[in-house]
Amino acid sequence: MTSLSKTPAPSQRRPRTILPRPQQQPERARRWLTRRRSDAISGWLMITPSVVLIAVFGLIPVVWSFVLSFQQNDLQTPGQWVGLDNYRQLIHDPVFADSVRHTLVYTVLFVPITLGLSLLVAAALNRRIRGITVYRLAVFIPVVTSTIATGVIFTWLLDPDYGLVDTILGKLGLPTSGFFSSPSAALYAVVGMTVWGWIGFGALIFLAGLQGIPQDLIEAAQIDGCSKAGAFWRVQVPLLRPVTGFLLVWLTINSLQLFDEVYVTTKGGPLHATTVVVYYLYEQAFQFFHAGYAAAIATVLFVVIALVTIVQLRLTRDPAAGGERR
Amino acid sequence: MAVRRGTRFGRFAAGAAAALLAATTLSACGGGSGSDGGSTIEVSHGYTDVEAKALTALANQWNTDHPNTKVKLLFNGGNDNALQKTVAGFTAGNYPDVAYEFGSSAAQLARQPKLVDLTDKVNAPDVKWSDFYPSEREAATVNGKVVGFPALVDNLALVYNKKLFAQAGIAPPDPSWTWADFRAAAKKLTNASTHNYGWAYVNDGSEDTVWRFLAMLWQAGGDLLTPDHSKPAFDSAAGLAALQQLHDMAVTDKSVYLDTGNGNYLNLFNSGKIAMLWTGPWDLSSINSDIKYGVTLLPGYNGNHETISGPDIYMLFDHSSGRTDTAFKFVTWLTSAPVHLQFAIRTGDLPVRKSETELPGYKTFLAKYPAEKVFVQNLDNVKHVRPNLPEYAQVSSAVGQMVQSVLLGQAQPADALKSGSSQVAAALTGS
Repeated sequence: MTSLSKTPAPSQRRPRTILPRPQQQPERARRWLTRRRSDAISGWLMITPSVVLIAVFGLIPVVWSFVLSFQQNDLQTPGQWVGLDNYRQLIHDPVFADSVRHTLVYTVLFVPITLGLSLLVAAALNRRIRGITVYRLAVFIPVVTSTIATGVIFTWLLDPDYGLVDTILGKLGLPTSGFFSSPSAALYAVVGMTVWGWIGFGALIFLAGLQGIPQDLIEAAQIDGCSKAGAFWRVQVPLLRPVTGFLLVWLTINSLQLFDEVYVTTKGGPLHATTVVVYYLYEQAFQFFHAGYAAAIATVLFVVIALVTIVQLRLTRDPAAGGERR
Repeated sequence: MAVRRGTRFGRFAAGAAAALLAATTLSACGGGSGSDGGSTIEVSHGYTDVEAKALTALANQWNTDHPNTKVKLLFNGGNDNALQKTVAGFTAGNYPDVAYEFGSSAAQLARQPKLVDLTDKVNAPDVKWSDFYPSEREAATVNGKVVGFPALVDNLALVYNKKLFAQAGIAPPDPSWTWADFRAAAKKLTNASTHNYGWAYVNDGSEDTVWRFLAMLWQAGGDLLTPDHSKPAFDSAAGLAALQQLHDMAVTDKSVYLDTGNGNYLNLFNSGKIAMLWTGPWDLSSINSDIKYGVTLLPGYNGNHETISGPDIYMLFDHSSGRTDTAFKFVTWLTSAPVHLQFAIRTGDLPVRKSETELPGYKTFLAKYPAEKVFVQNLDNVKHVRPNLPEYAQVSSAVGQMVQSVLLGQAQPADALKSGSSQVAAALTGS
């Protein structure tokens, strides 16, 4: 690549004025300013609908939720200010502590497993073979399948008595499991089910990343004596860093907010074994109608997700971008 | 609580915080629905299928007969989430005049400032309040205040597969069955190699888990709370007997299929894998026609065959005196004996008033739904109701965990009673 370009930059093509005419500069600046102002106005006008929507359905609820967390509120009668009581109670609530623990265990398992498997699946799908579209479609189908349907299917598949999975395990002489109905296995069953549901999404993102890597880099590596696997691990995977960073943040946020899958399969049970933070929040808000307490949980979760996301974004920042904000 | 199948799976936004608060915020923008002098009222319900058709037919009949008033039915998406829908409606300033609610939601909605207090109104002679079954009236009353009209009543009875009993060479259950008879039969009907079970128990820790235990607790002479509802009372000999029975069947005999709350038990009953259910009238219509089944009273403890009933109620909410007046007249008419009997004949739901069983149409009802006869008789075996407390949801959750821990073999009955009792005590003191 040549750094010196023969064609002059656009600004250089204009005839230069040696001496600026006295009024010219301020007038240009003024015009530039007015144009900028009118640009700003039309710009704001164009994004107003989105801003209003985000404010009404995003910002105001978040702020209101924060206010609510200092109240005792049953959503029916006027709330009472209780200061930090909800937060104080939260610290001493054993079920909340359990729900935090379950959420962490879930996240620690779900995120790396999904990332790893998605990468392998994407690598397998990144080739030109007959019927590749069918394979890609098959991998992606779980993503577009409704959580309810997934939940019902998995409940049957993993049924300890009549489920296909335990039947096969039994036939092979392997140990069977109670899955969703066993307090010690239920959380892992939820991990398994959600990994299955998310691999398609992860693979899709990785596949897009892989296809964005110039083929000549891999060829260059191979000419230098690198094996195919070596080129994958040493060239392609490092170049996927921004994609991996995005997926890491996305999957982490989603796993900290796990709810649907639990609601559909185990309802937080058996014996609170799958009560994760958002499920506990739901239970407090919409079954016990402790809206203030639930709002305190939401606030804590919000802060945690914000912190985790900031840390992850810093760690996975693309070195090629020189550590700059993107 | 009548748990209607097919409506269980509501979908909730995962970011529940946003969902919770979007509703709250909307109260700022949402105006109340316009008042039009009491001429149009909105009635929300979660009925589906035949019940929805029957209710629509009755509403149309009312609209034809009363040209000056109009009843508009609103489907709430399923009765399992009726309470959540109604509360969200209040925060949004858009609530119905009449709402169908589970009896267990009565106490939570009793705090609602818009609720119409029916205590004096039901004394009007044309309401014939005392004609409703006593357990229904009690379920509709919170701290002496009448908060609703009985809308639907059911109870638990023993439903069994006749063929499986004949195959196993066991005499079918009769109303004199004891807990021991029940346990022995369930054990004989169980076959681990073919995955056949004697009984099924909904083990999701919800109210579905709790109410079957409550029937056993009451049969054994116990109660959930002290009479003043201030403390738990189930850590007793009766509580131990009930939990021990569950332990013996589920853990020792392994004769119980533990349903995770997805209603698989009914499919398995239909496939001839489960021989007995403790269930209510709502499940009968889902039993396949090739399954010949019988219905009898629950097995008893010392001759007590008490059952539990889940009366659901119509609650009235105030928009204007004109609309409240119309709502009151409509619900009085809808739950009057001749009108409700029409509903019962169309749907197979049980009569809500004693006098319905004396009307000529009742014979039509029994001819159309012969299996319902036991359920109607069984209404006389309803002697207790669940405590009507705002904290009931938490009490129920604690008891559900306790029963679940025993069924899963994770706790011995006596220990489970102790920890369950202390959790209920904490829920009652609001800590």
